[in-house]
Amino acid sequence: MTHVLRAFGAFLRVGIGTMIQYRGEILLWAIWGLVNPAVLYALWSAAAQTHENGEVAGYGRGEFAAYFFMMMIVGHMTTAWDTYEMGYLIRSGTMSPKLLRPVLPIWEALASNLAYKLVTLVFVVPMWILFALIVRPAFHGAPWQVALGVVSVLLAGAMNFVIGYCVALIAFWSPKLDATGEVFFGVGMFFGGRFSPLAALPPLLGSIASLLPFRWMFAFPADLTIGRINHPYEAFAGLAMQTAWLVIGIVAFRLIWRSAVKRYTAVSG
Amino acid sequence: MIRALRLLSLYIRVSVQNLAAYRFDLIIRTIMSFVHISAELVGIWTIFHNTTNIRGWTAWHFLVLAGVYRMVAGGIRMFIVPNVRKLMEDIRNGTLDFVLLKPVNAQFLVSIREFVVWRITDVVLGLAVSLFGCWKLTNTIPLQATASFFVLMLAACVILYSLWLSLGVLCFWFVRIDNIEMVFWNVFEAGRYPIVIYPPWVRNMLTYVIPLAFITTIPAGALIGDDQSLILGRTAPLIAIGVAAVSFAAATWFFNFGIRRYSGASA
Repeated sequence: MTHVLRAFGAFLRVGIGTMIQYRGEILLWAIWGLVNPAVLYALWSAAAQTHENGEVAGYGRGEFAAYFFMMMIVGHMTTAWDTYEMGYLIRSGTMSPKLLRPVLPIWEALASNLAYKLVTLVFVVPMWILFALIVRPAFHGAPWQVALGVVSVLLAGAMNFVIGYCVALIAFWSPKLDATGEVFFGVGMFFGGRFSPLAALPPLLGSIASLLPFRWMFAFPADLTIGRINHPYEAFAGLAMQTAWLVIGIVAFRLIWRSAVKRYTAVSG
Repeated sequence: MIRALRLLSLYIRVSVQNLAAYRFDLIIRTIMSFVHISAELVGIWTIFHNTTNIRGWTAWHFLVLAGVYRMVAGGIRMFIVPNVRKLMEDIRNGTLDFVLLKPVNAQFLVSIREFVVWRITDVVLGLAVSLFGCWKLTNTIPLQATASFFVLMLAACVILYSLWLSLGVLCFWFVRIDNIEMVFWNVFEAGRYPIVIYPPWVRNMLTYVIPLAFITTIPAGALIGDDQSLILGRTAPLIAIGVAAVSFAAATWFFNFGIRRYSGASA
């Protein structure tokens, strides 16, 4: 275990260095994570304001502001790009040297993921504050809800990374399939509650959403923090669901990884 | 002029042949086009499951706009993105020499070298969705509106081309900016929905500062043709032509200005 930790520390240092070197580029990625929730806030708040009682699906303008403000934060904390990248890593042969190391490649991916999130915080935190100042979100979260909300955002980040990495492993079977990342992201966007609060989904889609892990990655931490989950029982049940999906993800990773490595044929060395 | 057209048709032929070489890719990508447009439709379904209109725009209005958005997004990726990417690559590697040495207008040549033909599915699907939305709204295919829609779309293409060319030209100064196109996509994201959803100050900014409204909302509004969706009224095509002309002139100037910075291969 110690050698993994030491390697991870080294990966993290390299990752942070790389991210700082490419600060301009990663900033442009981070901006999308701000623009998308801001646009959706505009859409849903306009819908609420046009509607009779100033509400849509139980959210008024201020609640939508709070919800999509939280989506910016949750979206940032759950960023992961392995589903997009794995096919390229395999096709270009970049995966081969990673596999030869005595540390699983997932550790390096995790380190650069954390490095991205840490380095871009410098930029996104002021932007979050600016957004909050402009749209004046209506937070109803009690201190215990906010405290559990922080825990659930962190769990959401871990969950999304591990499950995304499992899905990315599809690339070991079909390295030419570039659509994996897009589909995974799109499904998560919609059924996770990033496009709209889950309460706004039509019943059919809502029941699909309740079966998928995505709601625990996005909608749950946001709703918890802004105070829409009122019973501590519900909140802890949600945290338990997150933990369960995280464990499922880790177990699935170990199983899939074993057969993925056996499948691996180096491309172009 | 004839020579230019012959060059253009040559490059299009090569692009079509390239496409035919990767058939599995083509199937996957066609499926993805359908997935994209369906996702858009599911989004509209969700919005209008909760309400009947947003500031006067109904589900069918949104449908027309979604179609226009898809058409534009597909068109950009078909004609503009591949050429600008190639331009940036050439600047980076110094291979732009081969373009500059040819006896053709350099800006023309860098703009027509590569087309991603399969993106035509996005354009066709988008058009179909738009026309379906129009038909649902008015029970006709709005022939009287198509003329001004056509002019507006043409103007939108010119504006987009100018924006993208300028982004590409930035590469003459900042050589390593792989994802500068994210600048565009970040802004374009705001055009996915009608600009009426924004507060007035954002609306004005998206019309007069960054002419995003001219790219999606205004053409869609012209195609629909009813009062609340006609933004800027019947003069919109004229204003759009003006905006397009100014952006084209600015981009051309910027390109020629950038070329002077270019120091060639092995520099």
